[in-house]
Amino acid sequence: MPEASMATPSPAAASPILELRDLTKHFRARRAGKTYTITAVNHISLDLVEGEVLGIVGESGCGKTTVGRMIIGLEQADEGEIRFGGSDILERRGAALKAARLKLRMVFQDPYASLNPRRSVEDSVAETGDIHGIFENAKHRREMVGEALTQVGLNPSFASRYPHELSGGQRQRVGIARAILPTPDVIIADEPVSALDVSIQAQVLNLLADLKARLGLTMMFISHDLGVVAKISDRVAVLYMGNVVEIGDGPALFADPQHPYTQMLIASVPRIDPASRVTGTVERGEPPSRFRAIEGCPFQDRCPKRTDICRTMPELLPTTPGRRVACHHVDAVVAAD
Amino acid sequence: MLAVDDLVVSVVTSLGSLDIVRGVSFQIAPGEILGLVGESGSGKSMTSLAVMGLLETPRTRVTSGRIAIDGADITHATPYERVRKGNGDIAMIFQEPMTSLNPVRRIGDQIAEAIKVHDPKADVRARTQELMDLVRLPDSALQHGAYPHELSGGMRQRVMIAIALACRPKVLIADEPTTALDVTVQLQILGLLRDLCDRLDMGILFITHDLGVVSQLADRVAVMYAGQIVETGSVRTIFSAPLHPYTAGLMACVPDPSTGHAPLVTIPGQAPRPDEVPPGCPFSPRCSRADTPCRSGPVPTVRAGDHAALCHFPLNEELVHA
Repeated sequence: MPEASMATPSPAAASPILELRDLTKHFRARRAGKTYTITAVNHISLDLVEGEVLGIVGESGCGKTTVGRMIIGLEQADEGEIRFGGSDILERRGAALKAARLKLRMVFQDPYASLNPRRSVEDSVAETGDIHGIFENAKHRREMVGEALTQVGLNPSFASRYPHELSGGQRQRVGIARAILPTPDVIIADEPVSALDVSIQAQVLNLLADLKARLGLTMMFISHDLGVVAKISDRVAVLYMGNVVEIGDGPALFADPQHPYTQMLIASVPRIDPASRVTGTVERGEPPSRFRAIEGCPFQDRCPKRTDICRTMPELLPTTPGRRVACHHVDAVVAAD
Repeated sequence: MLAVDDLVVSVVTSLGSLDIVRGVSFQIAPGEILGLVGESGSGKSMTSLAVMGLLETPRTRVTSGRIAIDGADITHATPYERVRKGNGDIAMIFQEPMTSLNPVRRIGDQIAEAIKVHDPKADVRARTQELMDLVRLPDSALQHGAYPHELSGGMRQRVMIAIALACRPKVLIADEPTTALDVTVQLQILGLLRDLCDRLDMGILFITHDLGVVSQLADRVAVMYAGQIVETGSVRTIFSAPLHPYTAGLMACVPDPSTGHAPLVTIPGQAPRPDEVPPGCPFSPRCSRADTPCRSGPVPTVRAGDHAALCHFPLNEELVHA
């Protein structure tokens, strides 16, 4: 696993289990009688290596949720490829697509909205298995559900309960149990702890880290919360307005952010520090309107390092080991290979 | 100055009357920010609604205690009665400004409306401009007659703050005002609130679940658990040497980007529902320090300077004086 955690795509690393290639999504929106095309995800390429957790972090509207939804098939990609198990799942139909869906699963943000209130925990957790016909009989189904519930720290007796009888943390555990029965190849977790209280959030984060270690789960962990992403991710990709602006080894990225946006994002996290105070002079602007096309670097309007060159789009280039940054003002290195 | 003394809020349910705020007391001086911290169900929002006078419904009401502003008792006065009697000195902003603003009215008109309610003789145009400058809303927002949906979340929260300031409040209640905002925008709104508090000599009751936000913004902190304030003190003392195990547990739960993959220290279990609050210290079933005295009877208040906690076995015991 340490091998995998260091692996920003280099030829020596294991081949990725999930590859996003130039993934792009446009949305149409009408405003003041005009139709605009908004590029929610702009030619994003990411690899997910077996056994790693890739954190996707960014503010609202950066495209992080759309990326996850495209992988799961809840959103149609406009361009690009999603390579999984040797072929592009966007090209698959019928049985081949169904097989991919058994191996690619999702944990959603809101544990209140994502469970059917009229189905028991057992039925919700068993649903994927039912669709794919993996249970031999009712006893086998009950055993498998009980095992999945045990994995997420719930007593198997929870199987007969209904969502309204559960707390938020328990519901999210059910949401996770549902995603690991049967054990998938990849889990897409979209803000899985954001709706939870901080003490419950810590419990669920520890559970996910524990499951990753025990089941060797590969996970894409999408969140706006840098602290949460740092806690669980081997590698982290920072998104801004549909573009990957920086990607690298998690702890190194948080210790030494190189893109000006990553630096601003990390500096903005309010930390528990009795010696540090906010001041009234923080004015760094807000993300620009998505209704106006930007030529070049998406961050230029808010960037303290901005120069004329920023009107051209920077490429995502390697800088320090394991790191790639899309900024004209960060020195890139020529790859050793 | 706002003074809340031994406030009890009860809800009538099918199980009978339940106390969801159980004897809360605090004061907020002019120019001071008090951070009221707690998890869902701790009673923090109920406390703020009671102070604002928005709680009196057939099922929910203040059953004992006193809320006073500059000595005037407003415990049972509705917002309308407060304005009429000249005690309309408390304003409130909420988490999601979109649900508080009228979607079909221009924001300039909504600010003007608030000015007219509190001061019918005011020069509305000048005062609107003054409020927009105060919250640093760009002039363009008004000139173009923008509607709420045309503004970003951060700008909408600035509009809400402008409306709240129209009555020149002595105390502003801010209930999770930055929770729905992005982290870079959150910092700007926190900075604005700190600035307004200092410049207008206004007290702020800042309600949040986010200890990081409180640590950066507030002067004093009150930590709520199961309807009680279990610890209170200055930001500096609480975060450098918490007395209550719950406060220390909450601090340990917050993931910090700089601490890497080390597992978080968690608090086992979950907060009790209002109908299941255990006898003795309500935190005792989840507390690693709990012992026999914690499970029944009243819990003593321990003090260290201006810092106080409800606990039999406080942390940092060497600081506590008898």
